[in-house]
Amino acid sequence: MLAFPIVLIMILGTALTNAFDQQTVAVGEVHVLYKDKVDGAFSEGFKTFAKEAKTSGVHFKKILSDTDGKQEIKQGNYDAYLEIENSGIKLYQMDKNSMKNSIIQGMLTAFANRYNAAQEIIKAAPEQAGAVLGDIPGDHYIKETSLSSDRKPNSMDYYAVTMTTLIALYSALSASYLIRGERLGKTADRLIAAPVHKGEIFAGKLIGNLVTNGLCIFAVVIFSKYVFKAYWGDHLALVAAVLFSIVLFAVCLGLGVSYLTRTGEAAVAIINVLIPLVAFFGGAYFPVEGAEGVLALIKDLSPLTWTNEAIMNIIFADDLAAGLPVILLNIGLSLLFLLIAVVSLQRREGL
Amino acid sequence: MNVLEIHHLTKKFGDFVAVDNISLSIEEGEIFGLLGANGAGKSTTIHMISSLLRCNEGEILILGKNIAKHRKFAKMNIGIVPQDLAIYEDLTAYENVKFFAGLYGLRGAQLRNRVEEALQFVGLSDKHKSFPKNFSGGMKRRLNIACAIAHRPKLIIMDEPTVGIDPHSRNYILESVKKLNAMGCTIIYTSHYMEEVEEICTRIAIVDHGKIIAEGTKEQLKSIITNTKDIQVVLKSAENVDIGELKTISGVEAAALEDNTIKINSDAGVNNLNQIIEKLMKNGAEIRSLEEKAPNLETVFLTLTGRQLRD
Repeated sequence: MLAFPIVLIMILGTALTNAFDQQTVAVGEVHVLYKDKVDGAFSEGFKTFAKEAKTSGVHFKKILSDTDGKQEIKQGNYDAYLEIENSGIKLYQMDKNSMKNSIIQGMLTAFANRYNAAQEIIKAAPEQAGAVLGDIPGDHYIKETSLSSDRKPNSMDYYAVTMTTLIALYSALSASYLIRGERLGKTADRLIAAPVHKGEIFAGKLIGNLVTNGLCIFAVVIFSKYVFKAYWGDHLALVAAVLFSIVLFAVCLGLGVSYLTRTGEAAVAIINVLIPLVAFFGGAYFPVEGAEGVLALIKDLSPLTWTNEAIMNIIFADDLAAGLPVILLNIGLSLLFLLIAVVSLQRREGL
Repeated sequence: MNVLEIHHLTKKFGDFVAVDNISLSIEEGEIFGLLGANGAGKSTTIHMISSLLRCNEGEILILGKNIAKHRKFAKMNIGIVPQDLAIYEDLTAYENVKFFAGLYGLRGAQLRNRVEEALQFVGLSDKHKSFPKNFSGGMKRRLNIACAIAHRPKLIIMDEPTVGIDPHSRNYILESVKKLNAMGCTIIYTSHYMEEVEEICTRIAIVDHGKIIAEGTKEQLKSIITNTKDIQVVLKSAENVDIGELKTISGVEAAALEDNTIKINSDAGVNNLNQIIEKLMKNGAEIRSLEEKAPNLETVFLTLTGRQLRD
């Protein structure tokens, strides 16, 4: 249990070093054509915004009267075409998923939000409007976050996280054997015959398994941190909490499946099919990008996807808010599986 | 005082009635034998006494207290030696006994003393640090017993404690049962070995199809079949013998084949020995010996249930 993730981190982290070389993607200049159909504050605000955007490499050009804006973007002369009206801004683009168009959409949304905010402020305190719409030193419409953070995960960092969460998920296998092992070893009868409530036996087994797997995960983290020099960030307590939540989820999953299936073999088979699938789409072996349709759905349903993403965000983007939703989600699902196990235990004679 | 009282106990699994309205009582100091073929209902009864199963009807009293209302009290006073070995292979003999004794609330020096006492009782003191995987079948059976007695129960339930072990270990266990009884424990003993039951049990109940069909001391049970004689025929080979044909002979009440030996229960008033020999010879059987015996427990069982204990 301990050696497996450590060996995997070492092998994958070493073998796939080149795959995690830090690369930059050049987006290039962004050219946007626009038609201003209105006058007044909105138009003025947009002009200020267009001027500011130029510093970020986004160039807005007012359309000539005889030019067809939509035709221009079809021909690829511009990246987007805008029509500014009293009711708002209409945006025309060819490829909605390209990086350039994402930048334009983001900037326009930021501008619209700010303009709307200013309108509300003007109603309440007109003297403050300039502070919102005017030039603010250091103001941006594009906020750079993790994409240009000081540190990006190298292969060892990546596999330290993904292998640890993968092994945490494999706790389901040992958990599925927790009660079944007592039945198979015939010790279940002796336990039930003892003056101990079966709820206590169940809780004892659950807590014991959680502690064992939790300690194992802790050991993997410490080993990868100090021996492989994997980077676990500055918020280790929060990372540990997320890791413990996935251990809890895995243990409850294993228990739930063991009570849902008639035989131990069936429980093991289900877990042995489920975990590799969840691991593959959850990015345990390599980052899964660009998945669409069913594959994207499977990826999103993988507990490793949300757990790995949260841990990566905490470690590499100092995004502490990423931890709590995942912890709550993992605990919620754990309670669901635990409920299945407890209800089955109560209905069953014996363990 | 009755250590155990069972009133109208019934257990159903779906439509199947495994235990059918059983009532019995066991006094303090008895070694009570439960005899029955596989599926007769004795294990189900034992499981209900030891709280492994819930009954559908009836009640069980341990030392006068209903186990449905005083489950913890009942469990504290019962030690169970299950038919299947219920020990952890990855714990040492000492750790096994300590773990199970600990479930009964024993702690500290008292726990250590009781564990050592139990291991000494079953003759495993010198093996207390060994793992059961290195034990013989007999030693594992003895450890199974030690796990059941460390908390000094008033009632010990032994379900086939001598299955699959060598004669030396079997004798050791039988002596242990007698010693435990001498120390004040009441024992419920089930076995497929009739001679064991006959040797150690003070009272016996025969269970068949979920009911107690006879109950009493050995002598009382044997007296049920005073009109029966027990004929034992040893053959060179039983290949061509038709047991059904023997049952058609006048006076024959039951007949069973075990290896090359035919056991026949017959009406003592009917002289049918010649007919039995004649039938066997006709089938081509070569008779090695023929003996007419006084009825024993096996005869009683065969007569009452129409089958052998190991059927």
